[in-house]
Amino acid sequence: MSPSHASDVPVYNPRNYLNSPATGLKSWLLTQDHKRIGVMFLVAASVFFAVGGLFAMLIRIELLTPGPTIMDAMTYNRLFTLHGVVMIFLFMIPAIPSGFGNFLVPLMLGAKDVAFPKLNLLSFYLYMLGAVVALYGMVHGGADTGWTFYTPYSTTTVTKVVPILLGAFILGFSSILTGLNFIVTTHTMRAPGIGWNRVPLFVWSIYATSIIQILATPVLGMTLLLVAVENAFGWGIFDPARGGDPVLFQHFFWFYSHPAVYIMVLPAMAVISEVVCAFSRKNIFGYKAVAYSSLGIAFVGFFTWGHHLFVSGQSAFDAGVFGILSMFVGIFTAIKVFNWTATLYQGSIAFKTPFAYFVGFLFFLVFGGMTGVAVATVSLDVHWHDTYFVVAHFHFIMVGATVMAFLAALHYWFPKITGRMYPEGWGLVGAVMVILGFNFTFIPQFLLGNEGMPRRYFSYPERFWALNVASTAGASVLAMGLVIVLVYLLVALKWGPIAGPNPWHSRGYEWDTASPPLPENFEETPVYTRGPHEYDEESYANPPPVAPEPKHAS
Amino acid sequence: MADPRSIAHEEHQATHHAHGMRYVVVWIVLLVLTVVTYAASRVHLPGGWHVAVALLIAIAKGALVALFFMHLWDQRGANRLIFVTSLAFVALLIGLTILDNATRFPLANPPGSAGALPWGGADRDPPKLP
Amino acid sequence: MQASPLAHHFENIEKQSHAERLGMWLFLASEVLLFTALFAAYAVYRYLYSDAFAEASRAIETWFGLVNTVILVTSSFTVALGLNEAVKGNGRKTGLWFAVSVAFALAFLALKAVEYSHHFQEGQLPGRYYSFHELQAPGASLFFSLYFLITGLHGVHVIVGMTILAVVGVKAARGKYTATYHTPVELAGLYWHLVDLIWIFVFPLIYLV
Repeated sequence: MSPSHASDVPVYNPRNYLNSPATGLKSWLLTQDHKRIGVMFLVAASVFFAVGGLFAMLIRIELLTPGPTIMDAMTYNRLFTLHGVVMIFLFMIPAIPSGFGNFLVPLMLGAKDVAFPKLNLLSFYLYMLGAVVALYGMVHGGADTGWTFYTPYSTTTVTKVVPILLGAFILGFSSILTGLNFIVTTHTMRAPGIGWNRVPLFVWSIYATSIIQILATPVLGMTLLLVAVENAFGWGIFDPARGGDPVLFQHFFWFYSHPAVYIMVLPAMAVISEVVCAFSRKNIFGYKAVAYSSLGIAFVGFFTWGHHLFVSGQSAFDAGVFGILSMFVGIFTAIKVFNWTATLYQGSIAFKTPFAYFVGFLFFLVFGGMTGVAVATVSLDVHWHDTYFVVAHFHFIMVGATVMAFLAALHYWFPKITGRMYPEGWGLVGAVMVILGFNFTFIPQFLLGNEGMPRRYFSYPERFWALNVASTAGASVLAMGLVIVLVYLLVALKWGPIAGPNPWHSRGYEWDTASPPLPENFEETPVYTRGPHEYDEESYANPPPVAPEPKHAS
Repeated sequence: MADPRSIAHEEHQATHHAHGMRYVVVWIVLLVLTVVTYAASRVHLPGGWHVAVALLIAIAKGALVALFFMHLWDQRGANRLIFVTSLAFVALLIGLTILDNATRFPLANPPGSAGALPWGGADRDPPKLP
Repeated sequence: MQASPLAHHFENIEKQSHAERLGMWLFLASEVLLFTALFAAYAVYRYLYSDAFAEASRAIETWFGLVNTVILVTSSFTVALGLNEAVKGNGRKTGLWFAVSVAFALAFLALKAVEYSHHFQEGQLPGRYYSFHELQAPGASLFFSLYFLITGLHGVHVIVGMTILAVVGVKAARGKYTATYHTPVELAGLYWHLVDLIWIFVFPLIYLV
């Protein structure tokens, strides 16, 4: 149990964003409060996470035996497509930036709200609209193209691919508006005392994410529209029979979708930079290096898309260029990893649930990143392309890094968002199950891929059987771990102990306000005289078991 | 980076001047360039020079619109940077994509295109056009 | 925009204008990238089918494009004059100049509609609908696919921009903006100039080369 709520000091802020100005449904649906919009994004994204997870479990059950297990091939094709679309477009891209980002960015900058609150609400409704359109397509036929919608298959398939494409197109605009809002907020809404070298690292990373969202998403939107037009009307843009070039689609698609990996991973790095400081009670090692490497990743991420096309007929020259450029991402990621590790050195580490997820994150990011550098090597990729090796690699990055960070964020900011604590013991149990289950799911898939098992088939030769069973078993543990997390968080929502404004004794600016925060965030515009990660003072480096809490609004 | 309030203030000052004459001059130059680009397309030029000339004139016109009608000339900091960045990424997508088609193994380009083998160059006959 | 245009979460009007301007520029950047996919497709196919594209470009009438370029450039100029009046605080004149610009936009669209109907009669249509007998080289139908996509997307932007100009123009004429705060006038102008800017590149690529 956390020491901070063992006393009667923590207070639940009675006038908070959850109950004022009103509590009715209408007050939530029409709200312009960034905190409420963030919470709505979080709830929606978590629901889609559960849906996508359900699809994943069905896929794993189907792969339990070499032949057909519970479904036919067509259903399987639809399932993995839906799994990809839901997880990427509906969960991972919005979860941390639109969810936690909306909640935290203004709080971390000492602002009253994001720069354009109405646009923020519009972004939420575009997200919902896109989700509804895409779900309509899924219920009525579903697509069997995979989430990558490769032409010419996607332009000729009989399944309902158009609504899903349009849904993703609309979701793109939600993403653009959110990114736009964060950039303007970071530029113009910083409270006095927050110069660019005092912007919290979370905000730096979200800022870098937003740049990608603004520059890359429109290209994807247009590309998906082209596929939809071609599928519906046969305009021939990517159709070789009319002179079109299908590989051009892959260029356009990955021009967005590779940077999109960084849309998913940079926010994860944002969370981790905060968590690592708070739980090792030390200043971040190399603030500028961590901050600028976010921008470096965002920038270099645009120069690597061609490494998805090594075996698609792309020219050997272009493949070489992209292969080399892809390696540069490794440099910036390594800068971050080394700085986080150096931050731990001689820190007084509190092994709480967020920290457990941080440890998982670090392992998965390094492992996934190293295999990423390996598959960016042209000659190796020829062997691994479209096998389970690639599947395992990108799950290590996307699930291993992003979901770990999402869970770390959920636990770290749970007291701030809800004003209550989650049960620490259960938290650690859940974290251990998630991390171990994840390893048991995907390490067998690395081995399967290396032995040559191709992705996207619903059956496989018997020699792959044993490892597939291991993978499914691991997935079950992972799923159980996530269910445990869900249950205790729901329970803690109502019955969790009161957390108080700053149960972690964190130095982050967002902890300076009450928990849950006031509707207007701060009673008066705060003025900052210190950085967001400064644990130099003795009282913060080694906090007493019960620190006197500053009184807020009560 | 400077304090945002001072940027906001500078911008405020810069955008609160009238620019009547400047607009007239830019408008006339734009019309002249439109005629020039039309005329240039009617002159016989070798090879790809038509494209180069047309694009150069278009870039000049675009720069005039962006600098004076859109006031980038008067502004500082982020706004200029954003626009230039977006153009850099335009160049990136177009550049690396064309580079691919230009250096591809000929059979990987669509049949009948300049990047592919000429008809009959591969061991097959040209299609019968109706 | 009631009594005071200052939103509650900004300190002062200068900061708010700065934020709004920055937001608009970011939006314009994403608009540029929206068109980029089409321009990149144009570049690739022009490279692959340079002869067919040159032929197809010659097959459509240049004067439509030329006149439309003059119309759009002039409308951009009148929008700039509208802003000029807003800076001086003459809301009525701003409204007037914006009305002129909207008229130009309508003329542009009308001409475009006439041009489209020509293409329909000639069979210069995209992809599987292509039936233009004088030009049957491979890649020719791609030119018209891209032609309709680029001009179509641009046309949508003209309609949106025109609507924004109309709304802001009416508000300006009713005296909603002052010499100190007229950012919406400026932003509507920015959007319209971008529409013009894109056309400046579309014109030579489609009609001239």
